[in-house]
Amino acid sequence: MERNFQRAFLAVVLAVLLAVPAGVALWSHRETSAYYENRALAERPALTWAGLWDGTFGSELESWYSDHAPGRTTLLKWDTAVQMEVLRRPVVNGIVLDAGDVLVPFLEYQEYTPVAYSSTVGPIAEEFAKLDAHVEANGGSFYFVGFPEQRVYFQDAFPGYLNSHEDEAAAADAIFREALEAEGVAFLDMREVYDGLGHPADFYSAVDHHYNYYGAYAAYRAILDALTADGWDVPVLTEEDLTFQELPNPYIGSRNRKLYNLWPNEDRAIIAAQAAPVPFTRYDNGTRTDKPLFVLPAAEDLPTTYDLYMGGDFGETILDTGRPELPDVLVFGDSFTNALETLLYASFDEMHALDLRHYTEKTLKDYITDYQPDIVLCVMNDTFYYTPTGNGDVWPGP
Amino acid sequence: MAFSSMTFLFAFLPAAVVCYFLLPAKWRTARNGCLLLFSLAFYAWGGVRLLPLLALSVGISYVGGRLAAPGRPRARAAMAAAVALHVVLLGYFKYTGFFLENLAALGLSVSVPKILLPAGISFYTFQGIAYVVDVYRGTVPAERSAARLALFMVFFPQLLQGPILRYQDMAADLTARRETAADATAGAIRFCFGLAKKVLLADALGQIADGAFAAGGRLTVGLAWLGALAYTLQLYFDFSGYTDMALGLGRVFGFRLPENFDYPYVSRSATEFWRRWHRTLSFWFRDYVYIPLGGNRCSRRRQVFNLLVVWMLTGLWHGSAWNFVLWGLYYAALLMGEKFLWGKRLERLPGAVRHVYAMVLVTVGWVLFRSADLGQVGQMVSAMFGAAPGGAWSGEAAYYVRQYAWELVLAIPAALPVKDWLAARLEARRAAGSRAAVTLTWGVGLLAFALLGWSVVRILSTGVQSFLYFQF
Repeated sequence: MERNFQRAFLAVVLAVLLAVPAGVALWSHRETSAYYENRALAERPALTWAGLWDGTFGSELESWYSDHAPGRTTLLKWDTAVQMEVLRRPVVNGIVLDAGDVLVPFLEYQEYTPVAYSSTVGPIAEEFAKLDAHVEANGGSFYFVGFPEQRVYFQDAFPGYLNSHEDEAAAADAIFREALEAEGVAFLDMREVYDGLGHPADFYSAVDHHYNYYGAYAAYRAILDALTADGWDVPVLTEEDLTFQELPNPYIGSRNRKLYNLWPNEDRAIIAAQAAPVPFTRYDNGTRTDKPLFVLPAAEDLPTTYDLYMGGDFGETILDTGRPELPDVLVFGDSFTNALETLLYASFDEMHALDLRHYTEKTLKDYITDYQPDIVLCVMNDTFYYTPTGNGDVWPGP
Repeated sequence: MAFSSMTFLFAFLPAAVVCYFLLPAKWRTARNGCLLLFSLAFYAWGGVRLLPLLALSVGISYVGGRLAAPGRPRARAAMAAAVALHVVLLGYFKYTGFFLENLAALGLSVSVPKILLPAGISFYTFQGIAYVVDVYRGTVPAERSAARLALFMVFFPQLLQGPILRYQDMAADLTARRETAADATAGAIRFCFGLAKKVLLADALGQIADGAFAAGGRLTVGLAWLGALAYTLQLYFDFSGYTDMALGLGRVFGFRLPENFDYPYVSRSATEFWRRWHRTLSFWFRDYVYIPLGGNRCSRRRQVFNLLVVWMLTGLWHGSAWNFVLWGLYYAALLMGEKFLWGKRLERLPGAVRHVYAMVLVTVGWVLFRSADLGQVGQMVSAMFGAAPGGAWSGEAAYYVRQYAWELVLAIPAALPVKDWLAARLEARRAAGSRAAVTLTWGVGLLAFALLGWSVVRILSTGVQSFLYFQF
């Protein structure tokens, strides 16, 4: 019996050791990205003498081999389930499971001091000041619209033993706002707006780092209130003009996606139908498209994501409503713009939306010079305030 | 190439096993050649540029051994030259930067070159020195076959982290070993358990240690102790896990490599600890440094000197930094204290008290070992003993306890001889004819297989974490 066991054990182990390379050889070409990890899989490295000489070939091959192991996604999903349900860890795949009804990210305990923020904010504020002056010189008005990110909005949900960076975020946001206002930039702080409305929990997604459509609508109204106060006369979509509806589809948020969508929740995407829809012609990256404001899955049981708003991030999107009597607006910023765009366009003749992470045709300065918008909005969540690249790169060069 | 990498587990290892066992058992030279080629490929995986130095080290050992054999003219000079060459190579690659940095710190105008430390150099250099000295002493005959000597020095299971072999540990197996299914099974099971120790325990505990040692101004008494204990356990599971894998792989290929650990955390004194921790290194320093210096058979003053030399070298062998020197001298002081001052009184204390005494000293020792510099040593040790900038306890410490509760709980019995006790009980029952015990042997295999699978999943999830002793 013992000999049988030994032979069986060795045969099984050897079979497994050989099955993995066979699987990699057969199926490695099938997948190029890891959806749940939100990243591209490593590519097979080229075999070069230089790579062999310094050992980089070995480390690159390890990355490729690991990424293309057969059944990798399934194994990682099982592992996540074990970490969540069996081992009951408070943090799994960088997501806190001990924060009540919401998912927030695990944050390192190390914090930056207010001094560190103060020392870096100057050049950033100067760039926004230059942009503000340029918009004004081209006949427009510039507004910075700042949002708290979901983890900041729900910072009270962090368990006491974790660091929510509450004080750090408050200090960093205040320093940023003060610096921009000192440069004369109009700053619309949505943290303040939401707090004024009672800080409703249903303004933000429980499973995604964005707000939801209620939060977007409140922001839209606050922006239009500010424009009206500054003398702009634009139509407003009131609550009577809209019918909010919760989609039946499962909603995969960026937080839950890291957990392989295994965290049970009832969070759903919300959209709003206009009672009298404002018609528009849409162009994405210069090409006319019939894409709607909300890109919905084909069936109710199929999952949806935040990308349903405007169909996700594009370098440039233009919605033309053909009402030349109204002003034009240029919106640029991170993905918080997406949900906002579905509302904003209805108040303007043309809405141009840029995502500077993807738009490379012109600089923002040149775009404004050429387009001459009446209003320019920078929409940014506070985790990007101090990022000088992407949508923070508002004034390249001197 | 790390044992806990996908390329090792699912490309190199099956290729080596299949190629090796496809060769007929009676073709011993061919099988050795196969292992040698795979060992060289294993080493070259980290960069072909590393091979010339390894080849030079083998060459020094081979020629040195041939010339230092008893009866050869100028054997002593040949031995001394070979040892000196080994020491020069090790010194150049490991200590040049440290030496020049200290000169620069003293104000001398020297540039400090960046010299990449070749993986495993501390281990294969010590094997080479041991071989040449043993040949000179007549303990082992000079090896005529350069290939066999090369295999002794570069055998991939133990090339990067030991155990540090002496030629007599391997000589008989090089020519007359016998591979069996029983040995291969036992070796494979030990490999799986070793992999699990590394991936499931050491890597997780390392997260706590890394966090605590990086805490700086956030350090609390609790976090400092938690980090120190986590590192104490991490280092054991990391290093002994590697050793389990090395010994397991050796056994698959028919080699019986020497044990490196004997449950060091059951020790009741610092002296006992060093009889149980990294035993092949302790034996090396005993046989090739301490005894040639005079060992115990000399005056007390000379003994103190000998111990100081051995422990300073032990510290420096681990790394070229002052905290390693301090760590070595710390153990020199403890061992001398136990030998000359409080050893007899210690033996009269209850076992539990002696165990606590040993574990506190060992844990503090690992803080010296883990710290990046002497400043961090002071920060951690003072925090452990009450002078922590963050007070007694923090949320950060609570997080680590919650997050790694399973590992902390499992690590304690895993560091004690519980497995050996269970195995002995099982064997006794099996010898008595218990069928349940026979069935349980299948259970061990299934557990090993499950641990292999789980370890691989964790590797896929978190990536390959380097072994701690690779840096030495």
